[in-house]
Amino acid sequence: MATIGHNNLNAKLVLLGDMGAGKSSVVLRFVKGQFLEFQESTIGAAFFSQTLAVNDATVKFEIWDTAGQERYHSLAPMYYRGAAAAIIVYDITTQESFSRAKKWVQELQKQGNPNMVMALAGNKADLEEKRVVLAEEARTYAEENGLFFMETSAKTAKNVNEIFYEIAKKLPRAQAPQNPAGMVLVDRQGDAARASSCCS
Amino acid sequence: MYATQSKRNMSFEYQAQIINYRPSLHTRRANLTVKFQDIYGFSVEGNVDDVNVLNEVREKVREQGRVWWALEASKGANWYLHTHVSSTLKASLKLSALANAITLKRLIRKGIPPVLRPKIWFALSGAAKKKSTVPESYYDDLIKATEGKATAATKQIDHDLPRTFPGHPWLDTSEGHAALRRVLVGYSFRDSYVGYCQGLNYVAALLLLVMKTEEDAFWMLAVLLEDVLVSDCYSNNLSGCHVEQRVFQDLLTQKYPRIAAHLEALEFDVSLVATEWFLCLFSKSLPSETTMRVWDVLFYEGAKVLFHVALAIFKMKEDELLLSHHVGDVINILQKTTHHMFDPDDLLTVAFDKIGSMTTNTISKQRKKQEPAVMKELDQRFRRLNSLKDAVGQ
Repeated sequence: MATIGHNNLNAKLVLLGDMGAGKSSVVLRFVKGQFLEFQESTIGAAFFSQTLAVNDATVKFEIWDTAGQERYHSLAPMYYRGAAAAIIVYDITTQESFSRAKKWVQELQKQGNPNMVMALAGNKADLEEKRVVLAEEARTYAEENGLFFMETSAKTAKNVNEIFYEIAKKLPRAQAPQNPAGMVLVDRQGDAARASSCCS
Repeated sequence: MYATQSKRNMSFEYQAQIINYRPSLHTRRANLTVKFQDIYGFSVEGNVDDVNVLNEVREKVREQGRVWWALEASKGANWYLHTHVSSTLKASLKLSALANAITLKRLIRKGIPPVLRPKIWFALSGAAKKKSTVPESYYDDLIKATEGKATAATKQIDHDLPRTFPGHPWLDTSEGHAALRRVLVGYSFRDSYVGYCQGLNYVAALLLLVMKTEEDAFWMLAVLLEDVLVSDCYSNNLSGCHVEQRVFQDLLTQKYPRIAAHLEALEFDVSLVATEWFLCLFSKSLPSETTMRVWDVLFYEGAKVLFHVALAIFKMKEDELLLSHHVGDVINILQKTTHHMFDPDDLLTVAFDKIGSMTTNTISKQRKKQEPAVMKELDQRFRRLNSLKDAVGQ
């Protein structure tokens, strides 16, 4: 869950999605600015942290990058429980990964933290020639389900920082009203509200 | 072993680094990061002290080799096979078998020399016995039968081949990929219930590096999944793995209540780190020779060894862990620790001399105790997801 102290916010973020959709690559690009053509497959989950400055506040993301294979699904609740944000990643070159992304969305809507900020990332946007999932289709789905949507490319870095930045901007607003107890929101409400409208 | 490999000629780089950093040894010793290749060909990053530790380890491995050769010379080539005390043996033979068993256990905990590993693992794990129960041509036939077949498992295996220790000088070649593919695909057909589980790629890759032949690596994988580890570690919903995680949590609470209480207060669940440890058998976390040393004992003493090692890792960092304030700190401490455990004896001494004994019997009881709860939880989850699907379908 996101916790706020003065202008600093700690936020647990989880990445979910099909095997090979590029979850680890998105994280690696965001955290280290690197890209590996062949990223080691993640077993269980991997943990990273990265701090972002948003306006004059900072958001420290505690990122859980999970394993994508179906049978690892039984571990997922441990990672999304109490998460302030989730990025659901699919690969624009496979329909299967998009279907799987939708399943994750449904599960989070039902089981996850109700205030969770959810982003849908159509990754591998650099592989335009192999595209099978249309951006419009994904955008419509995202809008209908209250997610914000971006197409990303861990390879070219397109929209990777942006997606985390958008989440960071949405966090205080999503968290504050529902969780007044134990949180001290210091003069950031105005900014947070202004930041709320943008998407994709 | 962990994700620091890159595609380059590493042996060349290793040489170059050695020459380059020597002159500055005295100046910035602690801060220097060097990249080098360990004895199994993995590219490792560490500081100068780590390199020195690895050189000491190499020397210890050589010494240990001399001990094993001396024993072969005095007791006969396959002495380690004669450790079974059967009731039909004569008293004098029983005594020698018992003596061999005690010697062997101690020796294995001190490490099997890399050159002897293929032979000794194969004999002591039960892989040789398993292989002997099927026709000679079993593996070849299996591989032939799977050629050209595409299943969900083969698709996932193909996807993971280049993602298994990328950059390794042999594993990450077309030859390495092909061998790993045959072993994994072969196994997915041998046991279609397990099929392919991510994690097995790393385990099978290391087995290929150690065992002399691909076929022997296959049998080691088979014995590991079918006899050494608890069942259902890798199948279906990983229920076996869930059970092991709960047993581990209980053991930590029993053995190190202070650490367990502190971690609980931080809402740190041991499975956040231990899932990978148990499913990859430490191959993604520990340096290669340290991993192999854990496996030496694993194949001889069984799955409880994983608990010994996991407990030891927490124990070794007790002070630091007790000072941590955050889940992230705990993970960073443990990751940094495992990645730098270049001296296997540091870890194994704690694992086997300081943890206190845990018999396979008591651990089996603990597993039995946890199983119903795990099954219930997984079942409930399965139902919830199904009701989700129905709702979506309408």
